[in-house]
Amino acid sequence: MRSGRTPARIRVIAAALAAALAVVLSGCTRQGGTIHMAPTGGTPVEGGTVTMALPPAATPNWIFPIGPPGYSATYNSSLQELFFMPVYDAVQQGTDLVPTGAGTLGEKPVYSEGDTTVTVPLRDDIHWSDGTPVTARDIEFWFNMVRADKAEWASYTVGTMPDDVKKFQVVDAHTIRLTLDRAYNPDWFTANQLTLMRALPQQAWDARTDGGKIGDWDRTTAGARAVFARLTAHAKNLGSYGTDPLWKTVDGPWRIAQWEDTGQVTVERNPRYTGSQRPHLDKVVFKPFTTADSEYNVMRSGGVDYGYIPPSVLAQKSRFEQRGYRISPWTGWAVSYIVYNFNSTHAGPEMRRLYIRQAMQHLVDQKGMSDVVWQGSAKPTLGPVPAFPKTQYLSPGMAHNPYPYDVDAARALLAAHGWTQRGGHAVCTRPGTGADECGAGIARDAPLTLTLLSQSGSTETTNMMQVLKSSLSRAGIDLTVRQQPLNSVLGNSVACTAKDPGCDWDMSFFGTAGSWYYPLNPSGEELFSTGASANFGNYADPKADKLIHAVLYSDNQDAMHAYGEYLARQLPVMWMPNPAYQVSVIRNDLRGVQQNPTATFSPQSWYYVKKGASQ
Amino acid sequence: MTGFLVKRLLQALVVLFLVTIIVFLLLHSLPGGPARAILGPKGTPQQIAHFNDVQGYDNPLPVQYGDYLVRLFHGDLGQSYKLNEPVSSLLGQRLPKTLILTVLSTAVAVVVAVPLGLLQAVRRGKPADYALTALAFLAYATPVFFLGLIFIIVFSQAVPIFPAEAPQGTSIGSVFSGFSGMVLPIVTMAFGIIAMFSRYMRSATLDNLTEEYVRTATAKGQSSRRILVRHVLRNALIPLVTLLGLYLPTLFSGALVVESMFNYPGMGLLFWNAAQGSDFPVLLGVTLVVGVATVVGSLVTDIAYALLDPRIRSVS
Repeated sequence: MRSGRTPARIRVIAAALAAALAVVLSGCTRQGGTIHMAPTGGTPVEGGTVTMALPPAATPNWIFPIGPPGYSATYNSSLQELFFMPVYDAVQQGTDLVPTGAGTLGEKPVYSEGDTTVTVPLRDDIHWSDGTPVTARDIEFWFNMVRADKAEWASYTVGTMPDDVKKFQVVDAHTIRLTLDRAYNPDWFTANQLTLMRALPQQAWDARTDGGKIGDWDRTTAGARAVFARLTAHAKNLGSYGTDPLWKTVDGPWRIAQWEDTGQVTVERNPRYTGSQRPHLDKVVFKPFTTADSEYNVMRSGGVDYGYIPPSVLAQKSRFEQRGYRISPWTGWAVSYIVYNFNSTHAGPEMRRLYIRQAMQHLVDQKGMSDVVWQGSAKPTLGPVPAFPKTQYLSPGMAHNPYPYDVDAARALLAAHGWTQRGGHAVCTRPGTGADECGAGIARDAPLTLTLLSQSGSTETTNMMQVLKSSLSRAGIDLTVRQQPLNSVLGNSVACTAKDPGCDWDMSFFGTAGSWYYPLNPSGEELFSTGASANFGNYADPKADKLIHAVLYSDNQDAMHAYGEYLARQLPVMWMPNPAYQVSVIRNDLRGVQQNPTATFSPQSWYYVKKGASQ
Repeated sequence: MTGFLVKRLLQALVVLFLVTIIVFLLLHSLPGGPARAILGPKGTPQQIAHFNDVQGYDNPLPVQYGDYLVRLFHGDLGQSYKLNEPVSSLLGQRLPKTLILTVLSTAVAVVVAVPLGLLQAVRRGKPADYALTALAFLAYATPVFFLGLIFIIVFSQAVPIFPAEAPQGTSIGSVFSGFSGMVLPIVTMAFGIIAMFSRYMRSATLDNLTEEYVRTATAKGQSSRRILVRHVLRNALIPLVTLLGLYLPTLFSGALVVESMFNYPGMGLLFWNAAQGSDFPVLLGVTLVVGVATVVGSLVTDIAYALLDPRIRSVS
C-alpha cells in the first residue's frame, strides 16, 4: 500500500513541476500564449478582470468625494473618480499635464473681467446612473456643502476654495460662473482650484435625514450642514459601502461591485455610463496588502496583474520579464528634499548661509544615488518644479542642475568663507560677517556638525543617507543621521522659533515615497512662502514670496519659470533624488495603462490583448 | 474557594486598570501625536487644531483618560481614524482570524511535538534522538520570515500547490472556504512551536522516567507502553500545559511576521499598523484585549491549580 502511494505522489509533484516550468518558459499570459512587451497597441479583447495591488498598508476608507482631513489619500480620491467623474483633473497629454480630457466633465474654462471671473462649461451628455442628467446644479450642491463645512474638508486652506469664490452662479444647466475675490493666474486657478470641484448627485443626496424628503436643503447653511452631516455619517460606515443605495448613484465609468472591510474593492462597469471612456474590462479588483513583502510574494506567484516591486529588486528585472511582465517605474509629480531648519538652536546660523547650502548641495550625488541606491527608479530633483516628467512648467533653465556633484567646488566654497579642515573636520577659522568670513552667529572654531532626522523603514533611504553622510564628510561636514518612524519625523520637524522647545533639529527627511506631491500646478505657496503651513524649516525670503505671489495671481506663464529658477538656486531645502511613486510590474497582455504622475489610475483605458498579439 | 475567586477577580480588575493607565500614558508620550501622523505633512495648523479638538486631544490627560473610561464602560472602544471603522468592529474581524491561525498552528504543534518529545526521551542518546534534536535546534534557530519565504518559493512558486497568501475575506467562512491558503501560514508558524514544545516534552518525559512511580509500575509488571501512555505522558504534559497557559496572550496578540508575510490581516498587523500611524483608539483596544487575555489566562491557570491542589487554596 505504502509503496504503491509513493510513486503516485512523485508523479503528481513531477507533473506540477513540469507545469510550473512550462508556465515560466511560456511567458505566462492570460490565454497561455506569449505576448510581446508593449504598453499600448495589440488587438483589444473586451472583458476580463484585472487585479491591481494597492500600496502597502493602504486600505481605501472613504467614498464620499468631500473627504475630511486624514482621508484624502490618493487611492481614495482615485477610486472616487472612478464613480464620480471629476470636473477637471490632471490629464497627461503628450509631455504636458492639462486639466481637461475625455474623462472630465468640464470643458475649457473661460476667464474674463481681468481674470476675476471664470465660466465653466460642462459636457451635456453625462447622466447619473438613475438617468438624471449631470448639471450645474450638482456642482452647486458640492459648493454649498464645502462652503458650509469647510473645516471638515481636507482640501481646504484659509483663503483658497471656497473662500476665493465671492459668488457662485448657475448660468444654465451646463454652465457655471464663479466671481472670484481677486484676479488669479488662470493656469493656477484651473489647475489647483477648479480641479477640487466635484459634481454630486443632488437629486439623490440632498436630504437632511435618512429617508427624508429630497429638496434644495443645501441652499441654506444649516441645511447644507445637515445634508453634509448625513452623508459623512454614511461615509463613516465603511462596511456598508457595497450595499448603501447612496453610493449607487454614479456618473463615472465604474460602479462598486464589492467593498470589503479589509479594504479590497472590486469595481465593475457602470452599464449606464454615458461618457466616452467606456471600460473594456468587466471588473477591476483593488487588492490591499499588509506589507510590501507580502505583495512581492503574491506578485511572484502570479496573484496580481498590476503590482509593484521594491527598487532593490530591479536588479532581478529579467526574472519578471521572463514570466510575462513588464517593469515600469511610475514617476510621481513630486519633489523630494531634506528640510533645513533655519531657526535651529543648534545650527540655524549655518543653515541661513547660502554658501553652506550651496556647498552641501554640491555634495549630493543625485545621479549616483538615483542610479545605484534606487536602481534607476528615482530621478534627480533640480528645484521646486518636478524635472520629470518634463512639462510646460519646466523652463530650459530649470532642466539642468545648478549644483552638480563636485566635492572640490564644495570645499572651495567653504574655504572661501573662512572654513578650514582640521583632522578631516571643517571648523570656522575666520568668524565675522564679511564676504570671506563664516557669517553671523558662527563662532571661531565652531565645527560644521549637523543632525538629520530621517524616515526609517526603507533600505533605500537608509543607504541614501549613508551615501550623503559619507559625501558630506569629504568636505569636513559631520552629519549624524537619526532614523525614526515617519510620524515621529513629521512630529519632530515642526516649524518653530529659536525660543520654542524642541527647535534643535537641523535637517529632516520624509521623502521615501517623495516628499511633496503637487496638484496639477507645482506652485510652492504651501512649501516656501513665509509662514506657510508646510514650510517646516521656516524659510523666509521676500523675493521668493513675491515670485510665488506672481505664480498665483499674474497672468504670465513666465512667473512659474522665474519662481522655479530662483528657488532652485536659493536652496530653501536640500534637493534630493525623487523616488518613483512605485516600480510597477504589469502583465504584458494588459495594455492601455498610463501611469499618471499625479498617481491616479484610469482602468477604463486598460484592456487585454488577444493571444499572440504583437505591438 | 469563593473567597479565593473573589480576591483573584478583584486583583485582575486592578491589573487591567493599571494596564490601561500605563498604555494611555505611554501613547501620549510619543512624539508628534496622532494629528500629524494622520494628516501628514499637508495637514495645516488649522486642521491639526480641529482634529485635536474633535478627538479631545487638546484636553488635559486626566480628562482624556476619564473620557476614555466612560466610553469604555458604555462599550465604546472608539473609532479608528486610519481605518474609518469602530475599533470593536475591527477587533471583531481580526481577532477570530488571528485565533484561527494561532490556535490551529498551536494545535498542530502540540499534536506533532508531544509524540516527538516522547520518542526522543524513550530513544535518548540514540540516532533518532540526535537527529530530532538537531532538527529541533535548526527549526528553532530559523527565523520565521526565512522559513515562510522558503515555503512560498517551494510550494507557491516552484511547485504551486498552495497559494502565497491567506484567504482574504472578512468572514470566518471565507477563511475555511479558502483553507488551502491557510496551510503555509499555519505550517510556518507551527514549525518554531514544534521545536520548542518537543524540547520541553522530551525534558519533562526524561524527568518523569526517573521517578519512583515509574519504577513501582515497572515492578508491578506493567508494560513500557502502558507506563509511558498512562502515567508518564500525563505527568509530563503538566509543564506543557503551563507553557500553553503562558502562551495565551500570544494567541490573541497575533503573529506579526506570519500575518505580514502571507497578507493575513490579523491582530498583530492591526497593532503594528496602528502603532506606525499613532492610531490611539486601536492601540488601546488591542492592548485591552491582550491585557484581558493575559489576566484571564493567569486567572484560569490559578483557578485550575487551586482546584487541583488544595494546598494553594489554603495558602491563598
